[in-house]
Amino acid sequence: MSSRQATIEVNAVSKWYGSVVAVNDVSFQVYPGITGLLGPNGAGKTTLLHMMAGLAGVSKGEVKVLGQTPRNNPELYRRVGVQSEHEAVYSFLTGRQFVELSADLHGVPDKADAIQRAIQSVNLLEAQHRPMGTYSRGMRQRMRLAASLVHDPDVLILDEPLNGTDPRQRIEFNDLMKRLAAAGKTILISSHILEEVETLAGSILLMVTGKLAAAGDYRAIRAKLDERPFKVRIVSSDNRALASGLIGLAAVESVALDIDGSLMVLSRNVAVLQQSIAKLAQEKQVRLLRVDPLDETLESVFTYVVNRS
Amino acid sequence: MKALIKLSLRQMTGRRRLAVLALLVALPIVLAVLMKVLNTNDPQLHEEVVNGVLGGMLISVIMPIVVMALATAAFGNELEDRTLNVLVLKPIPRVTIVLAKLSGSIIVAAPLVVIAGIIITLVGIEGAGLRGVLAAMAALLAGVIAYATVFTWAGLITSKALGFALVYVVLWEGLLTSFLTGVRYLSIRWWTLGILHGADSNAFPNFGQNNIELVAAIVGVAVVTGGFFYLTVRRLQRMDVP
Repeated sequence: MSSRQATIEVNAVSKWYGSVVAVNDVSFQVYPGITGLLGPNGAGKTTLLHMMAGLAGVSKGEVKVLGQTPRNNPELYRRVGVQSEHEAVYSFLTGRQFVELSADLHGVPDKADAIQRAIQSVNLLEAQHRPMGTYSRGMRQRMRLAASLVHDPDVLILDEPLNGTDPRQRIEFNDLMKRLAAAGKTILISSHILEEVETLAGSILLMVTGKLAAAGDYRAIRAKLDERPFKVRIVSSDNRALASGLIGLAAVESVALDIDGSLMVLSRNVAVLQQSIAKLAQEKQVRLLRVDPLDETLESVFTYVVNRS
Repeated sequence: MKALIKLSLRQMTGRRRLAVLALLVALPIVLAVLMKVLNTNDPQLHEEVVNGVLGGMLISVIMPIVVMALATAAFGNELEDRTLNVLVLKPIPRVTIVLAKLSGSIIVAAPLVVIAGIIITLVGIEGAGLRGVLAAMAALLAGVIAYATVFTWAGLITSKALGFALVYVVLWEGLLTSFLTGVRYLSIRWWTLGILHGADSNAFPNFGQNNIELVAAIVGVAVVTGGFFYLTVRRLQRMDVP
């Protein structure tokens, strides 16, 4: 990794608003390819992206994009495309006019071709002449992405670009991002949903409460997450009989009887546990009434990574 | 720049907004015509048109309201709709963005106000002539530009820009200048009147009003326009854009 040139460098960056610290002493580099910026809502992802995009100043530290400071450096946007989190658009403009505005403001040569290519890349040619006020949330997101791509930037900074998109649109989005990454572009995508970037990002940055909790290869971090013990609450027709069987399972670390009579099972391998419970219930002739995985919130997942790192 | 001005114009020229503004500027025109028709031999007509319709109505009330409605929305709407980042994330200097927004307000407001002023001058002021028309044009244009610059700045720094503009127009220019005449030197309304009177004192005599000197009025407009333009650019450079 170190032999490659980092396109985005964040060095000891902090950002505070009055007494509230939004980003706390964060450092990392982003290289060509796709990087996911993950974290629960309020983790500081948007603030960090705003500083990288030059929309917000840093309180401390330094941000460099393509070797330049992005703040008050409009010329840098010739090589950088940014899609902000807010889905605000000029609703009186058609999709095509919106992309054309972006092309005009970027001074794109061969404008008509560039607009056509950008709109085609997000698969919205059919809706391009409709006012954006009539678009669905997902369509607005895609047309905004087209506007961010129209000048063929080297660096793409996308804040929650998958908000409001359906599964088919996500697949198309992933394909487009992979094509751009293969062409040598640097793409930074933020999301609060781990699975959104699972198949997309080679490396990830994990933000928790304004701090960088983990950074690096997605698989390594995912493996860490998979190792964490999961709590599962089970309610059945005969909890005691089921508990005696559960204790003997390899996937189970511990079993406890909760005050309300339900079973609290701690497991490091939920997938195996799920299969085993059904089999065990059949063997013991116990009817499963509820199987609820607990601790599934992103906050708990990220907190686990923080505590482990 | 052209694309930005075009965008600003589209944002500002909603049919309903234009209709209301056109109706507003039509009021003093209709009044001047009626006064002319109904009081042909009134020796006070000249004074009533200059002080009452042109000064009291168009310059003091309608011009600031028209400019206020447009200029406070120039950045205000972008901030409210969170679209400002669409503009600032482009390779355009911030000064160009401010210039385009300001131009949009002026391009819409100036014709409305200036044409109204010219019609009132031609209809209501006997022997106003070309000089009178040019004086009205220059004064009203200066007023529109100065108001537009101040209100554009207000739209960028506060979500309550309309309130700020109303306080300035009603309390500062309307109330305070009538008690403390020195405050007139810090008033866009009085600079406009000063230019009007200074450029053609025959068509627009004082009629007992304490108008400020032409030079002071021109300097006032220039300083406020330049100063607030600079403040707006600086604000746009330094603010965290949502």
